[in-house]
Amino acid sequence: MTKIEAPKVVKKKLFSPIWLLPLVALALGAWLGVKSIKEAGIEVRIHFPSATGIDVGKTLVRYQGLTVGKVVDISIDDELKGVNVDLKMDYRADPFLNKGTKFWLVAPKASITGVEGLDTLFSGNYIAIQPGNGESQSFFEAEENAPAILPNEDGLVIELTSETLGSLDVGSQLFYRQIPVGQVISYKLKGASEISLTAFIKKQYAHLVKKDSQFWNVSGLKIDASLSGIKIKTESLSTILAGGLSFSSSENSEIAEKGQQYKIYDNEELALGGIEFTLTADKAESASIGTAIVFRGIKIGRITDSNLTDSGVEFTAKLNTEHAELLSASSQFWLEGADLSLSGVKHAERLLTGSVINFSLGSGEPASQYPLLTEQPDKLATSKLTLTLTSESNQGIAEGAEVRYKQIAIGKVNSVKLNSSLSGIEYQIEIWPEFTQLVTQDSYFVPESALSIDASLEGVSVKTRDFATLTQGAISLIQSSSKSQVEKGATLSLFASRQTAEEHFKNQNLIKLTLSSPDGADLSSGAPVYYQKMQIGEVENVNWQTGEQSFTVNLSIQEQFSGLLKSNTVFWRNGALSVNAALTGIEIDVAPLQGALKGSITLGLLDEAEHGDQEHLYASKSLALAQAKPISLSFPADVKLSAKAPIRYHGHQVGEVESVKLDKTLENVTAKAYLYGNYAKHFTQTDASYFIVDAQISLSGITAPETLVTGPYIGVIPGKSEITSVNFVAKDTPAKQRKAGELYFTLEDNNLGSIKSGTPIFFRGMKIGQVDNYNLSATGNSVLMHAHIDSQFSHLVNQSSQFWDLSGVKVDIGLFSGAKIETGTLETILAGGIGVVTQSKTSNSNQLAADSQFTLQKQLDPEWLNWAPEQKAP
Amino acid sequence: MSNIDENAQGKEMGLTTCPSCNKLNEQKQTHCTRCDSPLMVRDTTSLQKSWALLITAAILLIPANIYPITMLTDRGRIRHDTIFTGITHLVQSDMFPIAIILFTASILVPLLKIVGLTIYLTAISFRLPISKKMLMVGFHIIEWIGRWSMLDLFVISITVALVNMGQLLDAKPAPAATAFALVILLTQMAAKVLDTRLLWDRLESKDDKNRSTKSR
Repeated sequence: MTKIEAPKVVKKKLFSPIWLLPLVALALGAWLGVKSIKEAGIEVRIHFPSATGIDVGKTLVRYQGLTVGKVVDISIDDELKGVNVDLKMDYRADPFLNKGTKFWLVAPKASITGVEGLDTLFSGNYIAIQPGNGESQSFFEAEENAPAILPNEDGLVIELTSETLGSLDVGSQLFYRQIPVGQVISYKLKGASEISLTAFIKKQYAHLVKKDSQFWNVSGLKIDASLSGIKIKTESLSTILAGGLSFSSSENSEIAEKGQQYKIYDNEELALGGIEFTLTADKAESASIGTAIVFRGIKIGRITDSNLTDSGVEFTAKLNTEHAELLSASSQFWLEGADLSLSGVKHAERLLTGSVINFSLGSGEPASQYPLLTEQPDKLATSKLTLTLTSESNQGIAEGAEVRYKQIAIGKVNSVKLNSSLSGIEYQIEIWPEFTQLVTQDSYFVPESALSIDASLEGVSVKTRDFATLTQGAISLIQSSSKSQVEKGATLSLFASRQTAEEHFKNQNLIKLTLSSPDGADLSSGAPVYYQKMQIGEVENVNWQTGEQSFTVNLSIQEQFSGLLKSNTVFWRNGALSVNAALTGIEIDVAPLQGALKGSITLGLLDEAEHGDQEHLYASKSLALAQAKPISLSFPADVKLSAKAPIRYHGHQVGEVESVKLDKTLENVTAKAYLYGNYAKHFTQTDASYFIVDAQISLSGITAPETLVTGPYIGVIPGKSEITSVNFVAKDTPAKQRKAGELYFTLEDNNLGSIKSGTPIFFRGMKIGQVDNYNLSATGNSVLMHAHIDSQFSHLVNQSSQFWDLSGVKVDIGLFSGAKIETGTLETILAGGIGVVTQSKTSNSNQLAADSQFTLQKQLDPEWLNWAPEQKAP
Repeated sequence: MSNIDENAQGKEMGLTTCPSCNKLNEQKQTHCTRCDSPLMVRDTTSLQKSWALLITAAILLIPANIYPITMLTDRGRIRHDTIFTGITHLVQSDMFPIAIILFTASILVPLLKIVGLTIYLTAISFRLPISKKMLMVGFHIIEWIGRWSMLDLFVISITVALVNMGQLLDAKPAPAATAFALVILLTQMAAKVLDTRLLWDRLESKDDKNRSTKSR
């Protein structure tokens, strides 16, 4: 413990090192504070049209995915036209908040080209910022859409112009050899007529775009439908829906500059250059933008534009570069469409693609303007033979139908139209040069029928031709025997068939006749005309002639038979079957079948001396040979008249009834009758009298007993008139024909008694006349009997004659005289009779005047029996 | 041992306790005879240290409350929460008990601790006439309750560890978390580092009076 320890000097520390801690904390806090103030963020106000999708505190501001700020407030702007969105930006964003800085809202967007802003589905929409240059500012107007290019992307931005947007959209891809190399990043209207698209080419592909690159639209499907098949081409699936652009570049050109402008062509063909020229036409017809220009079927260009001009339409056309040398000064362009006809379809693909413009080579330097023809110019026109064919109606020939000779095409029909007078058809045809000599004078043409069915009594033949004929028709050349060739532009005929042609030529040599007939005579066109059972002509037609109330039958007789047409020629119609039954036998004549079907006419000859009527068609041979003249007779309906009933004059047949018809009133029958030619003139006077003769059986006998077998006939009594007629009203009873020399008078009695027509008048028991008919007197108190005395006895009766009734038996029983029975002949008992005596000799003074009247005495005055003047016939 | 003054202090008897093993050593000893720990009768620098730590904590309390303590990414939306906004958020979500716990642990306790320590240290440094006993009770309370302030950080650390679903849902500690942790740590240290014996030395005379008078 002695050891003294060295004094320990303790230096009192003023401050413990622990005090560094608060200092550090203070420094730290200060730094934090400073930092916090520094990093507090920059208030920025952005004006958005709408606050949709923006939430206070939630919506962030991002730049390349990095959050650089957030929305702190949203307020409506003063003009109520949008919202002001206040952002608190990261302090580091300060340098970027300049005049050129752009803000826009990023919202999720799914399109065919991709899904954008998918992150926003979770993080919500955000505001994207694209820094820009310029002065610093804190108020911005939001962009409607994302700006075209994001600054981080390096590449080439080009401008594309197009007239329509089509299916292009932002995001539509740009392809180079089908590799996507970029995309459309924006589009906008440029002026009123153009759309400007901005496209971005990725950096690694930027060199592919040259200054002369051509861009075209590959949107959608490209369907190449032709008869060879259908080719569907598309760049990628996305282009079908979202559109796309493709481009091509030539290798040696300069690389495009940024912002270079290009035009978008509608398709590759258009884009790939060529030489331009204009086509002028009167009207656009079927040409339009896109119409192809073809040469020998190969597409070498197309129409790129069309404009209206004062005089028509002007097309801008473009020939592909590789075919540009084909164009020359005398090239010609014409429109060609699909040739659609039933005979086949030429250029069917043009139904889909539309018409094309065809092109022909020429020579000389290419011009800048050509006319667009509507038809192919015809180089062979000069050597072709053009003809006009005429036809009454179109024979089913269409434009373009072939003209054939022996089934070989030798030309074609250029046009079919109505002729100027609209009465027929005119065909313009052309005959190809090598066949022109086939067409000679009088050659004619007939249409080829694709299907001809020839049904005749010989059988049925069916002929078919090729399909083209069926659809388009074709015409055949039928040569004539003539050797002289036709001239260009000559007019030839087109006949419906070879037969008609032949007929036509035959007709030229035919003799035409016109017959009249009271009826249609069962004839139809083509009914044959025979002579001695040989056809010598035919009926052309049968017409009704209103004025004459008859039919006219037009005949044509072949020329070689003209000798048959003479003054004694007559025509009659043949019945299908004529049976001529007579007591001598039955003759049955069956007409040929053709005649039976169509009716037929026979030409016959009368005797040389006779003159026939060549203008009348007789109903039968007999009538014809008799040169019968038709008349019409009207009878009361109760007449028992039948066809074939003869017309007789005093028992001699002068005609016959052809037919009997009851007329509509049912009160009359009309008989069509014929009077034989040589008699006709005697019985056609207007006052000729026709009457029915029927058998009358009475006690006095039978009149016209033959009618009991033959039926009633018609009696006729000629008239005296100068005027002739063919229509007569017949009477029941025959009118008495007054003969010269006969004496006519009237007897009057108060009672007819047994007197009737035909009651004889006896003179000394001998019949000298008879009662013709009788009637009541006008006053009704007596009966008037009209009687006549035959001419050879007319001198026996004069004014002093007395007539009495001889009829019946007169029994006179007197008281003193006893019974006295007085009778005439048996005939008079049965049929009645009239007796006559004459007192004095007939002289000029007592000659009986015509139609004098006597009283019929009841009985004979015995005194009269003493009268016996001597009389001699004058 | 009945004659021993109940208020007698070791240092007056030439004794000192080992801070580590609590063995009474003579004051001349520099090191504990048992555990060889350095012996000091009184750590005169502890007050300074405590003050320094307290001030640091107080300074750090500011950023800890101002800055966000968590960064929550919810479906891409990032939300920064300070302690206070976190609590208000809980209140808005009708989670009062949790809000109260959080408020107590995260705001009230650190604040009280700092205030308490300040009072304590002030009382020591400036010999304020405050009951020695009360101060001690307060000190123990501060010391005991202070560790619960770590609750907030604990929650954050667990959340950060568990909730990690990228853009959908993610939680990350924000700068305030560090500051807050430091505040807790520093206040704890400030309490720990303080040689409470100084309190007794400095406040003895007056307090005795107070105590004796009171006890009387």
